Amino acid sequence: MPTLTIDGRRVEAPAGTFLLQACRQAGVPVPTLCEHPAVEPYGGCRLCVVDVTRPEWDGWRKMVVSCLYPVEDGLIVDTRSERVVETRKVVLDLLLARSPRTPLIQRLAREHGIEKTSYEPNPDPTDCILCGLCVRICDRLGHSAIGTADRGAGRVVAPPFHEPPAACVGCLACAEICPTGFIRFESGPGGRRIWNRDFEMVRCPRCGRAHITKAQAEWYGKRMGWPPEEFEVCDACKRREMAAATVTLGSGPKGSAAS
Amino acid sequence: MDRIYRVTPQSCIACGKCELACSFAHGSDGRPAQSRIHIFRRGPEAGTPVVCLQCDDAACLAVCPVGALSWNLRTGAIEVSHETCIRCRMCVAACPFGNMHWDEGRHEVAKCDLCGGDPRCVPFCPTGALAWLQPSAAVRPAEPPASGMTGER
Repeated sequence: MPTLTIDGRRVEAPAGTFLLQACRQAGVPVPTLCEHPAVEPYGGCRLCVVDVTRPEWDGWRKMVVSCLYPVEDGLIVDTRSERVVETRKVVLDLLLARSPRTPLIQRLAREHGIEKTSYEPNPDPTDCILCGLCVRICDRLGHSAIGTADRGAGRVVAPPFHEPPAACVGCLACAEICPTGFIRFESGPGGRRIWNRDFEMVRCPRCGRAHITKAQAEWYGKRMGWPPEEFEVCDACKRREMAAATVTLGSGPKGSAAS
Repeated sequence: MDRIYRVTPQSCIACGKCELACSFAHGSDGRPAQSRIHIFRRGPEAGTPVVCLQCDDAACLAVCPVGALSWNLRTGAIEVSHETCIRCRMCVAACPFGNMHWDEGRHEVAKCDLCGGDPRCVPFCPTGALAWLQPSAAVRPAEPPASGMTGER
């Protein structure tokens, strides 16, 4: 197993893993915004930068994003060097200029000693920090209904052609994973709306609760090889049925009514 | 896995203490709606507790697209890694018994994790309807079929 030095401590890390995990396993905190264990490392937020060097490099060192840098035997990692701290500050300063009203960014910036951005604040503040989690999660689920569109300062997360996405099933995973709550949706008995697409809901045949979209039921059915009708009953009614079945199986007192 | 979680619905008096214990044990403010064990009332002082069966061939575990669910071989529980979970809620739809919950307040799925090997509902159950037993003690002698309830536990 490769052995490396992180902030002066010798740490063993399994080969094939990345510096970020090694740091965290060693109990060294590294801030991140785009990292998630369910998806591949992305290197999008640049907050997890660290300094690395080796004894034979004669004092030369380089700054790398730890989420994408594989562990190596003999590597010396510094997560608190002056330029690492400065780089993280610049990243957060820029993010705060982009998203001045976003509580998560305000908090992280404050933790790094930035109360106010030194750049011109975004005249059109957005909560989207382009961490790409929503896009990667949607890919991971196999829909790829959203992606990033346009470039540079105009880069946004959007469905293809900024139209209601045909591949979306309305599962809301993108909105739930979003660290800043940028992705808005509406969901109620009448239907669900996300990415400007309206979804018809499946109503539980027992209690009438609208719990998933029809597209979700079809997708679940395809994924599990069950007919989509299997997903009609909501979880509360499934529990009630389980309780009733337990009674009819003969474990309940005779004559008691199964509710 | 040296213990077995046993539910005896005949003994349940629907007092709801397990629901309270569960919701407190999992960090909520004791709202039974957030409990992972539910009692369905069959009449006065008679209930059927419904809780995760920790299925051998679990649908929740099979459908999870990111491997956030895994067996804890020490306790015999299927546990959720909230760090890995992406909140797609496929497990909620897949569980045939409705024992995977979506906690709207915390934006997490929730299921019975046997409290890491010390289920908190058990000591609060006044009738022994819920028990956490050695496998040898959990096995009940065979009953004649359709014996109904004869008072034994």
